[in-house]
Amino acid sequence: MGKPMFGALLFGLLVIPPVRHLMESVMIVHMLVQIPLLILAGFLMAGFFRKSFQRFWFVWNENGVPGMLLVVIIVLYWLIPRTIDASLENWSMEWFKFISLPFLAGIPLGDSWGKIGTLTKSIIMFNLIPMLGLMAWLYIDAPVRVCNNYLEAEQKMLGWGFLMITAGCIIYMLQYAFTDRSDAVSE
Amino acid sequence: METVKSRNNLVVSYLTVGGVIIIAMMVFGVLMLLTQGGVIDLAPAAFYQFLTIHGTGMVGAAALAAAGVMAYFLSQYVQLSQKVMRVNLALFLTGVVMVIIGVFSFKYASAWTFLYPLPQLSANAWGTIGALLYLFGMLILGAGFLLFYLDSGRAIMKKYGSLAKGLGWDVIAGKKSEDDAPPKAVIASTMVTIVNVTALTAGSAVLIMNVINVINPAFTVDPLLAKNLTYAFGHIFANSIIYMAVIAVYEILPRYANRPWKANRVFLIAWTMSTVFTLLIYTHHLLMDSVMPTWTLILGQALSYANGLPVLVVTAYGALMVVYKSGIKWDMASSLLYLSMFGWVVGVVPAIVDATIVVNHVMHNTKWVPGHFHMYMALGACTMFFGFMYYLAKEDSDIKENAMNRIAFVAFALAIVSLSGSFLVSGALSTPRRWATHIPEWMGPAVFGAVAGVFAMLAVTVFVIHFIRYINKRRHNVHLEKTSHDEKPA
Repeated sequence: MGKPMFGALLFGLLVIPPVRHLMESVMIVHMLVQIPLLILAGFLMAGFFRKSFQRFWFVWNENGVPGMLLVVIIVLYWLIPRTIDASLENWSMEWFKFISLPFLAGIPLGDSWGKIGTLTKSIIMFNLIPMLGLMAWLYIDAPVRVCNNYLEAEQKMLGWGFLMITAGCIIYMLQYAFTDRSDAVSE
Repeated sequence: METVKSRNNLVVSYLTVGGVIIIAMMVFGVLMLLTQGGVIDLAPAAFYQFLTIHGTGMVGAAALAAAGVMAYFLSQYVQLSQKVMRVNLALFLTGVVMVIIGVFSFKYASAWTFLYPLPQLSANAWGTIGALLYLFGMLILGAGFLLFYLDSGRAIMKKYGSLAKGLGWDVIAGKKSEDDAPPKAVIASTMVTIVNVTALTAGSAVLIMNVINVINPAFTVDPLLAKNLTYAFGHIFANSIIYMAVIAVYEILPRYANRPWKANRVFLIAWTMSTVFTLLIYTHHLLMDSVMPTWTLILGQALSYANGLPVLVVTAYGALMVVYKSGIKWDMASSLLYLSMFGWVVGVVPAIVDATIVVNHVMHNTKWVPGHFHMYMALGACTMFFGFMYYLAKEDSDIKENAMNRIAFVAFALAIVSLSGSFLVSGALSTPRRWATHIPEWMGPAVFGAVAGVFAMLAVTVFVIHFIRYINKRRHNVHLEKTSHDEKPA
């Protein structure tokens, strides 16, 4: 069984109502597990779409930058507390979440990541680090409930989750920069 | 395709923009000192706008010029992206324009420190737009520099394998001989890449925090966290200027003295120590914050003492050894580079004194601190890239140095020592810094400093004019070469 099949299965699993309800009932799981898993599902499926629509990807995402731009926009959109709230209250938003994250973020990510150079990857990582750090501050320090569907305690927990991921990214970048990469580094 | 000429064009642009902005910022510096000295009557609001633009502009322009020095020499060993250098320059200019509009059109005046919650809490001295223009301007400027350092990191990793190898850790560990150590330009650039990527990441986070607070004051930040992030950005970034500019000393002095100056194990250890210390010593800006954990303050003092030593000692001692009895030919480039060693060594002394907790409690908010950084930055860092400008002009064209240049050199050295001295004397008199108005007892050194500042400004103008003359000459030569090439019969 190839990666695309794993991706499709993962996507199918995430769509199942009990799984969806379970994940969305806890804010930190909704934001830091369900959303990344939806992107991962798309990322795994990318190979199938790349093969099936070769010309499309060549014409529209030759150097990977348009694809990454789309990924960043979609991820930024789903980092906004209001959109998360809306996805729990509005069916069309929930649909959009399940379509946009795997198909407009995960699949372009799968196609673009191999095409972009080390510099662009570094830019994305060093954009991600302060951005996630800021999200941590925002959720930990917010003076009000930023989502109507979750308690203040839950949003604080989410903030700490973001902080852990920020620390993880920093450790990853440190090991990346300080271990031998002479063969892996590109333009 | 990259050529030496096209690479030099960008370096020349970095240095020209940096040099011109520095002269403009010196005008504001002189005006502030004249105001403090009671010679002119500047409104306090205007004084603080000048303070903001002077601090921000000086550090930004010096960083740009020093980045030009770093790019020039680093690109002799690794492949830097010209596109990234161009984008950095464009973002720098965009950021500068935004900052200028924010400060002068919208009266933004928080000083370069933009210390939370001041950007939002201005007591109506400025509004939201001014604060946002300044903060976003800084963010754009920082994004350009971040791109530049990410590219230098990429290029170093591609050639040497990792940043650890760029710092020569394999040589320190004994896996490679000292003969295989990376060139000094690579070692210094690796150090600067590490510290500045960290600084700019911290800076972008605190800038956005301030932006959110300005837009919606209900979102507050822990002021201590904000101050830590601000100085983790500001101190490291400003400090790194000298580590970029010193590459000129490493590369040019040995050529003049006709002696090798290779990196050895002690040199590599010193640079690694300075990499770590530079990241940590910003806490000496928080020695008066009693709510900081005590251990961080002790660390701030101890590492500030320690950071003054490794790279400075190996560099100053190395420079002395390279020059000693070498029969070196003294011209503007070598003289300025040698003078910069003096500026660096003398300039860190007041800083180390101020990093002592008991002294800091008395001196940190006095003009003692500007005394330190004017000596350190003007006679240390800036002198290094002024020396490089003369070196590049000489290497790249047939321009001759004249008596005016030599007079400017002496005037510059004396003026900066006098200016810094006036600040240090003011500090010793307990004159507060960042105050628009002085009582009569504080005015004397300010007037003296202003006069010294005028001479320093004139001297720097001579340096920059020489560089611009070189650019014109170079352009003219290129035009002549092109014409003669076109006229050649087929």
